[in-house]
Amino acid sequence: MTLSAIDLDHPPKRRLFGERQRFMLLLIAPAAAALAFFQILPIMTGANASFRDWSLHDPQMTWVGFKHYVYVLTDAGFVWTVMPNTIFFMVISVACSLVFGLALALLLNRNFPGRAVVQTILLLPLMVAPVVAAIMIRWMFNDQFGIVNVVLELVGLPGQPWLAQRWTAFSVILFADIWLWTPWFALLLLAGLQSLPREPFEAAAIDGASHWRVFRYLTVPMLRPVMVVCIVIRAIDAFRTFDIVWTISQGGPARSTELFSIYAYIEAFQAMNFARGSAAAMIGAAVIVVLAMIIFRVLNRWAEVSK
Amino acid sequence: MTSLPQLGSSIDALQPPRKGFFAALAPGGGRILFALVVIGVAFLFAFPVLWVLLTSLRPASGVFYVHRGTEFTLHNFVEVLQQESVYNAFINSFAISTFATLLSLGVTVTSGYMLSRFRGPAPSVWFAIIYVLRCVPYISWVLPLFFVTRQLGIFDTYWGLLLPHVAVHVCFFSWIMKGFFDGIDPSMEYAALIDGCTRWGAFFRVAMPAAVPGLTALAILCWLYTWNEFLFALLLTSHKTPILTVVMAQFVHELGMEWHLMSATAILALIPALIVTIFGQKYVIRGLRV
Repeated sequence: MTLSAIDLDHPPKRRLFGERQRFMLLLIAPAAAALAFFQILPIMTGANASFRDWSLHDPQMTWVGFKHYVYVLTDAGFVWTVMPNTIFFMVISVACSLVFGLALALLLNRNFPGRAVVQTILLLPLMVAPVVAAIMIRWMFNDQFGIVNVVLELVGLPGQPWLAQRWTAFSVILFADIWLWTPWFALLLLAGLQSLPREPFEAAAIDGASHWRVFRYLTVPMLRPVMVVCIVIRAIDAFRTFDIVWTISQGGPARSTELFSIYAYIEAFQAMNFARGSAAAMIGAAVIVVLAMIIFRVLNRWAEVSK
Repeated sequence: MTSLPQLGSSIDALQPPRKGFFAALAPGGGRILFALVVIGVAFLFAFPVLWVLLTSLRPASGVFYVHRGTEFTLHNFVEVLQQESVYNAFINSFAISTFATLLSLGVTVTSGYMLSRFRGPAPSVWFAIIYVLRCVPYISWVLPLFFVTRQLGIFDTYWGLLLPHVAVHVCFFSWIMKGFFDGIDPSMEYAALIDGCTRWGAFFRVAMPAAVPGLTALAILCWLYTWNEFLFALLLTSHKTPILTVVMAQFVHELGMEWHLMSATAILALIPALIVTIFGQKYVIRGLRV
């Protein structure tokens, strides 16, 4: 508005970018620089490596095209164990943390004596370093000294060699992940619950709606946008989980609980083939980018329908 | 903040007599059941941490039978605090977490503002870049990141860990910040522009103060995240810059199975996080209300 007055006095020089564009660029410049150096550059390095013969004893780094991609995609372990594991882990982890997180958020949204203390206790998993939690959970499920087997035997059930069997090991990993992330969901959903308008709830109370119907027809639809954001963010993170699995099972027993990031790490550092590991990581990245777009589309439609 | 208890009580006051399972959870009906559920859930969530605490109080000989022993000692804490690497790791972790939080917020607040306030191809492209980069698994860029920080000569320094942390947070925080600014009415900024404020002035003096609750919430979450982060610290630091999570993991990986020392360090590491959470949680919940 004031700009036009200034422009009359000084005919504008032709610039590549207008004032608005320059402002926009400056706003994102620091963030873009950080991304360029510490994310895009490493990703490019990895992508470049995945097309080459990048082993320690071949300094030439010959270009080999899609050899590593073909290897990974035809590896039965990757196609039939690693990818199903990853998807299964993502779905179960997100679904359980969402349900439990919502339950906790509803609980904390009530008023009861000691609520502040309970809330602090429920947030404990957010405060503990995940790696320490994972080490401790592995220790708790140790077949000889672990407290879980001690308790099981006390009750008269046989103790399990938890980490030596595929599905028990997978359950332990899932338990650790859900324990770690439920408070995160609870926190975001609680914030969402507290920002909901009061009027619909008062109207429902006057009409004598049951708790279930209030929950089903008021709380859930109004929380949908928050839930969508939570689900998308967490689904992406769950897909690329590394440290918990690595600490608890290292992908074992016999590589049966590997997620794709564990597979990439093992190929890169234990099989000493950085190129093949990078190729596996690139394939995983491509899968999650596509998946994330689908999830976002679907959930976005679901959230908008409610409006 | 105060609206909620009021909301709950006003509904309760208006409620017709309850029936069914949910009635059992309500005060008046089955207070005891409700209390039991709450205590049970809280216990389940606290158990692994309680177990760490219990282990940290046992002498070295007792850690294999934590549930059985009756001897307790504070010696583990003394022993841990006498180790120079633990002491340094505390200082390093604290510095890294604090500076990473400040830097990440400073960098992303402008980026989120841009995403929220402008329409057109530039913000869409920027959002697409952020969304795609957010999806790329850590594993595919942490490994090359090691080489990159070496090349830049910042491996095993504060900068070598700080800047990658900032890069991690750019995508997620920009997205969340966009949400904060979307919730703030831009008409005040237009008014400031009309009154002769520059775009930067409108951003710093009008938009930023309105976003402070959201910024506080993110700052707390970011600090906790960085304090507890492991993978980057493991790969991007070495002897010169020991980081707390790595030092803790080393107690049970490299130096033999010293569960008692790891637990003692973990409990000490939990204290700052606990303080931040106890004082910060209400700001987090308030700030994340979009």
